[in-house]
Amino acid sequence: MQGITKNDLIIRIGGEGGEGVISVGDFITQACAHAGLDVYTFKTFPAEIKGGYAMYQVRASTERLYNQGDTFDVLCAFNGEAYNMNRASLKPGTAIVYDSPGDFDPEIPPGVYAYPIPMSHTAKEMHNPRAKNMVAMGALSILFNIPVESLREVIAAKFTRKGEDVVKGNLDAFERGRELAAALKKTDPWTIGTPKSKKDVIVMSGNNAVGLGALIAGLDFFSAYPITPATEVAIYVAKHLPKRGGTLIQAEDEIASISQVLGASYAGKKAMTATSGPGLALMSEMLGMAFMAELPCVVVDVQRGGPSTGLPTKHEQSDLFLAIHGGHGDAGRIVLSVESIHDCINLTVVAFNLAEKYQCPVLLLSDGSLAFSTQNVPYPNPDDYHVVERRRWDGESEYHRYQLTEDGISPMADPGTPGGAHIATGLEHNEAGLPSYTSANHEAMQAKRFRKLKGVVNDVDPVEVDGEGTADLGVIAWGSTIGVVREALQRLRAEGYKVSGFYPKLLNPLPAQQFEDFGASCKRLLLPEVNFQGQLAHFVRAETSLRPESYTICGGMPFTPEMIVNKVREILA
Amino acid sequence: MNAHPQFHLHKVELKPKDYKTDTPSFWCAGCGHYGVLTGLLRSLSEIGVDPNYLVSVSGIGCSSRLPYFVNSYKMHTLHGRAGPVATGVQLARTDLSVVVTGGDGDGFSIGGGHMPHLARKNVNMTYIMMDNHVYGLTKGQCSPTSRTEMKTTTTPYGGVEEPLDPVMYMLTYGATYVGQAFAGNVKLATQLIKDGMEHKGFAFINLLSQCPSFNNIDTAQAFKDACDQVSDGHDVSDLSAAMNAVNAAKQACRIPTGLLYKTERPTLDERMAELVKRVGGYKDYDLRKIIDLARP
Repeated sequence: MQGITKNDLIIRIGGEGGEGVISVGDFITQACAHAGLDVYTFKTFPAEIKGGYAMYQVRASTERLYNQGDTFDVLCAFNGEAYNMNRASLKPGTAIVYDSPGDFDPEIPPGVYAYPIPMSHTAKEMHNPRAKNMVAMGALSILFNIPVESLREVIAAKFTRKGEDVVKGNLDAFERGRELAAALKKTDPWTIGTPKSKKDVIVMSGNNAVGLGALIAGLDFFSAYPITPATEVAIYVAKHLPKRGGTLIQAEDEIASISQVLGASYAGKKAMTATSGPGLALMSEMLGMAFMAELPCVVVDVQRGGPSTGLPTKHEQSDLFLAIHGGHGDAGRIVLSVESIHDCINLTVVAFNLAEKYQCPVLLLSDGSLAFSTQNVPYPNPDDYHVVERRRWDGESEYHRYQLTEDGISPMADPGTPGGAHIATGLEHNEAGLPSYTSANHEAMQAKRFRKLKGVVNDVDPVEVDGEGTADLGVIAWGSTIGVVREALQRLRAEGYKVSGFYPKLLNPLPAQQFEDFGASCKRLLLPEVNFQGQLAHFVRAETSLRPESYTICGGMPFTPEMIVNKVREILA
Repeated sequence: MNAHPQFHLHKVELKPKDYKTDTPSFWCAGCGHYGVLTGLLRSLSEIGVDPNYLVSVSGIGCSSRLPYFVNSYKMHTLHGRAGPVATGVQLARTDLSVVVTGGDGDGFSIGGGHMPHLARKNVNMTYIMMDNHVYGLTKGQCSPTSRTEMKTTTTPYGGVEEPLDPVMYMLTYGATYVGQAFAGNVKLATQLIKDGMEHKGFAFINLLSQCPSFNNIDTAQAFKDACDQVSDGHDVSDLSAAMNAVNAAKQACRIPTGLLYKTERPTLDERMAELVKRVGGYKDYDLRKIIDLARP
């Protein structure tokens, strides 16, 4: 079985929820990452609680991966539904591994390599019908050179708790799948490349990575209300926060969760909540109070398809207007946006640091694509992170909670500090915190609160520039679209195009100067984003002299590198 | 039994006036809220609460200005949100004593969704409801506790809704301490607040407080005349007895006052501390072990 090594292979596994589709995807992901490959996965769960179509796509490569890719190279169909759902994507050159005899008899389009494997039949024959997925995985492993030793280790590790019989049953089915596939003539050219070396990595989803980042930052208090696709942040934190004596509470609604977060913050703790657009909308009033009363807090928004209830399980980047300007009465806040799983860890730490330093709400925007995607990330050593604590009153000078200072930052005092008693209030107040509605005071206090935000751009890496010199076209992207653009630009450069990328991670306050500098190095600008109105393009036009061409989609899926490549070719034609 | 460790650890000797800030009050002359403030200041003095370990939290309304007049750490939050904000304070720092003050509109209308959860979760705090049956700060609109027949700026021909009964509401949702008094009866109000603050768990005290500016039905005299203190024989540990007393008073157009119900149940923070202990919290916490779980 000789194939052409493809450095970069995408395998999509589809079947009925409960058939082990997700497990196979997880096993392959774990094994590839274990062996030293880069992985980037993507999955969809059935909308139904039981049954329904489940899909797991694994992209594995010897090179660095930034996104889930264009489409799959290999489809593994457990049933007819999986075949039907993906039939349109079976292009010449792709391969299909399918259950045969099964509940369907696929028409194989010309140029598609087909490998019928008796998955259900073999598992039944082995008196282990639940091991259908292991038969399939065995076949995949030999057909496409998925690191087999790593797979065996992962299977053993996964089932050890269930006893030796279960381990053996699954391994036997896996080996049988390998034998069945070995007997077939391999006609396609695809095999996964052999990794150069093992790497010290972890594999995580975006939602878990946000939770981990919070733990690294010293999270004390977490309150949230369940909402798709953000709930897994709470699930991760609920599992681990009590171990460090932290507090996790499920609130009665999102208003209560942000309220509890602010109460905990006032009490001196590092506090956060995680939600999606509808929840963030409910929190808007309290975020205004957090700005007014200068209470540190971190709010994670895992964006989903909107407006209203929208497309709860689908991907969209459409909460930027809400994140930056949602709320009444001229309030400020810091808005960060993550590109990758790595960012989900690192920028969550940054979010806490900024909240503590600037005593204001910090919003971290993730999205539905990152929420459930997993990637390998270099092992994060907690000691390598710089963790910031809020400026606290020294207990000596006379204490005014809202003292007007040069940088706008006034020391806080935790309850229990003698002489530090003060009020945190949503009313406009003077330096002592007492209500004051004079125009001079309101102007001075607004200036103080906004003055703080001026320092933010110097505390973070606000943007990343991808490329050097003058470009015929510059692509500006935010959130998970960045990873797609990175790969598209690599392909375009290989074709000889002069293109650059600009990836802002700090979206408010907008690093306008960096935008201007980048704009000056490009003849034209393109700004792809997954929302209808072109929300970042709107802010760029409002706050800089740049006039990027907006490229928007809102079909519930992320961009693919191919879409960006085609768009750029079209513009530069 | 003292609920709050600081009552022992940080006991101070201060007079009621020492707990009062010099911030001038903005309440109208004759407002019932003065009685509530006096009752609270006296309770703090009698317990010996250290102002540094007291956090007074409020929402929005006339009554929600009360924290400004109390010497303590304090939060003046948003309309209806005092309860959950105070929950955050209490869970974050269980060594603090947390008191919420607010009105009937704040607590039962805009903040109504939070009240059941404060009660059922048994958050260790004292919630002083300053119930004047009207929206005062917005100058006279009907509230969830307004009498149906009351004419207000938004009900110029009289109302069309049934008022809710705060004490029955809180008994139903599982508050572990429920008391009621006329705010003008400072002696009883003080006794309930003090007892409520010393109670371990969610203490709800409904203080009927006249609004001389926008409610000419529920005057101080009317409240005073309608109050019947529960008899000495009332069994405060019996939930049915408390509900029956409230129902019976309602049938007779009377207001039952005094301590209506009191029970012991683990508080939310106690249950959380127990959970932390159960999962081996603190002891062997090692973030690296958590990160290692994600190794492939």
